[in-house]
Amino acid sequence: MKRTLSMAALVFALLAAAGAAAIAQRGGASAPSLSVNPLWPEPLPNHWVLGSVTGVSVDARDHVWVTHRGADSLEGGEKGMMLTPPTSSLCCAAAPFVLQFDADGKLVSNFGGPGQGYQWPQSPGSLVVDAKNNVWITAAGLEPAPASGRGRGGVDTTAAGVAAAARGTVAPTGPADAHVLKFSSDGKFLLQIGTPGKMEGPDSQTTLNRPAAVAVDTGANEVYVADSGNHRIVVFHAETGAYKRHWGAYGEKPTAAGGGAYDPAAPPARQFRDVTCVELAKDGMVYVCDRTSNRIQVFQRDGKFVKEGIISKNTRGTTVTGQFGVLSSYGSVWDIAFSSDAAQQHIFVADGHDKKVLIVQRDTLAEVGSLGDGGRQPGRFLAVGSIATDSRGNLYTGEQHHGKRVQKFVPGARR
Amino acid sequence: MKRTRNLFVGAGFLALLAVLGIAQTMLQRTAAVQAQGAAQAPRFEVDPMWPKPLPNGWYLGQTIGVSVDAQDHVWIIHRAASMDAFEAAADEGTGTCCKKTPPVLEFDQAGNLLRHWGGEDGAGYQWPASNHGLTIDHKGNIWIGGNGAANDGHILKFTQDGKFLMQVGIKQAGLGPDSNSQERFYLVAKVSVDAKTNEVYVADGYGNKRVVVIDGDTGKFKRYWGAYGNKPSDEPAPSRYTNGSQPLQQFRGPVHCADISVDNLIYVCDRTSDRLQVFSREGKFQKEIFVAPDSLGDGSTWDVAFSKDAEQKYMYIADGRNQKLRIYDRKSLAELTNFGEGGHYPGQFYSMHSIAVDSKGNLYTTETYQGRRVQKFTYKGLGPVTKKEQGTVWPRRTTN
Repeated sequence: MKRTLSMAALVFALLAAAGAAAIAQRGGASAPSLSVNPLWPEPLPNHWVLGSVTGVSVDARDHVWVTHRGADSLEGGEKGMMLTPPTSSLCCAAAPFVLQFDADGKLVSNFGGPGQGYQWPQSPGSLVVDAKNNVWITAAGLEPAPASGRGRGGVDTTAAGVAAAARGTVAPTGPADAHVLKFSSDGKFLLQIGTPGKMEGPDSQTTLNRPAAVAVDTGANEVYVADSGNHRIVVFHAETGAYKRHWGAYGEKPTAAGGGAYDPAAPPARQFRDVTCVELAKDGMVYVCDRTSNRIQVFQRDGKFVKEGIISKNTRGTTVTGQFGVLSSYGSVWDIAFSSDAAQQHIFVADGHDKKVLIVQRDTLAEVGSLGDGGRQPGRFLAVGSIATDSRGNLYTGEQHHGKRVQKFVPGARR
Repeated sequence: MKRTRNLFVGAGFLALLAVLGIAQTMLQRTAAVQAQGAAQAPRFEVDPMWPKPLPNGWYLGQTIGVSVDAQDHVWIIHRAASMDAFEAAADEGTGTCCKKTPPVLEFDQAGNLLRHWGGEDGAGYQWPASNHGLTIDHKGNIWIGGNGAANDGHILKFTQDGKFLMQVGIKQAGLGPDSNSQERFYLVAKVSVDAKTNEVYVADGYGNKRVVVIDGDTGKFKRYWGAYGNKPSDEPAPSRYTNGSQPLQQFRGPVHCADISVDNLIYVCDRTSDRLQVFSREGKFQKEIFVAPDSLGDGSTWDVAFSKDAEQKYMYIADGRNQKLRIYDRKSLAELTNFGEGGHYPGQFYSMHSIAVDSKGNLYTTETYQGRRVQKFTYKGLGPVTKKEQGTVWPRRTTN
């Protein structure tokens, strides 16, 4: 009897120690502890490299889906095999736009690029796999679309350019991004919402403006679109694309002007600035990233405002000119993911400008921890802009700009 | 009875030993037979978590030099100025990360950051407009070059604490090439130091097209030469080297390395010619090889380092165009195998720029442009070459 008791005590002590190891403390609140798996995913075949990663999503099988900006986001030295003439026969070429990995990091399938009946984005904004295993991709452009509605010009008519376009690794030129695409998991085109080059403002029921992200409510058969350029959330039927409803910050009517420039000292803007994510929690709440405003706003599914949380209030931003154009980096709330526990107790916030993943308690929207810091080594970040969790507590992050990686973080401290 | 049993046990033990012995011999024979067909070459695998994260919110810019000191500490130099406003958001006041970092950084074997210094002019010396290359000599002193266009015509020598020792040449606005100057350089990539003679071999460089030899203590110019040992010329190269074209009689440049081997040969990287030329210490041309001669753009020969065995049997070439660490048999100048692949994951590269080897044979690589890191590859001993292209050399996977 006594022996059994001490065994139980020992087991209890071990469990307590294990629990303690998995908890990182900050300000009395607890946050999950995660560490990078530096050897995920497996190296890509065919001398493929990732460009600026803009979307990461986990499907029902815990497979990880990734989209990136392809050759347009690669420097000359990164895509030597795609240049005319090629500067290398060994390194490198842009990977296809959509990649599916299994949980071990094996590349399972890929697709992407122009096809019949739809226009491939000039710049994929994000990717979501819904509960029916369909793949949604937003066409988010790199820059605000010019008034003419034309996107970036200059079709690459060189042999390598044509060949690359045929391989589906270079974004087509043409009308500016203003649409959402839906594909089956094997890349068959299913639906397009919005029309490239056609932007009719935040009251439009048929057009979008550089949509950044979607979330799918499979039960209601609805798709929520973070319509960044229109400063709104807009909901469509997920099969037909028929308009349902839309709203702006605080559930109010969105305006074309949006929230203006961010000032940490000013009261929160009544309009969204840059809506870069929309996520549906299990309890039916709709979470929205207003990136440049450093905030998360929470709504009911009908658009009724519930609450907001300011994250890293003093983060502002910057615009830099790189080898392949202008890169902007503003705000702390680029994308979010809910923790894998049943209650979704925590929210992981991809804070791209500060180069961290912030961990926020979902009920209070208070920051309770963080993951990583700036750098190019494993577990560090550059512009971490997309984030997803799987069913087993693993976390996946995608990095934009020159980060160009998808990283996997596993529960617990690094052994 | 008991005794008999002990005897039996003893006999069994002997038999076992004999079998083990035979097995051992057979294993050795098998290995020897396998090795007959396959050349031996050093094997490496990346240490994905080296070095440790930098303190103070620091962040590496273009990392363009690496050298290992007598304590096996790893020294790098990078360009803080290459960090854009986004990377340096904490300095800019727009975010919490990151900050510009002193250019010269020392790491111990565990990957901890130790000393850090540099970046500013001091009494008697001018810091380069653009850092390029770092070398630790046999006395433990640190040499750095500079390739800031229209400025850097000099090299600098410091103690490991960052105390200034010597400047050779000048930094001056409006400077241009003069490949026959006896006083200054133009856009030096890297130096190496001959411990036996205390002479410094200067890869000069991005602007000039020559190798210069100076005295390691006085900085006095001793001799210099161009490609094939010719008198160097500043005449622009007519065109880029293309596979099979007539090799240029001058360096195209950048003259990106000039490393001395244990048997007193000078290995010179002529990067955009995709070639390596070998000279005697006096500058007498010995031989040349072309490396991945279909490479265009930046070229294929970025840096060299030698294996740690007494005769430096192997030579490593950093091919930053094709993102391969190439392993050569140094005597025959035949490539045995290579590893590396383009990308930003451990063991992959974007513009692998500089390489160095420590006393245990471990290899360190740095990446410029948007690679911006230093990586460690653990030496795993010699093994038969089974693949010409090894790809990304990862340690055995952990279960996650």
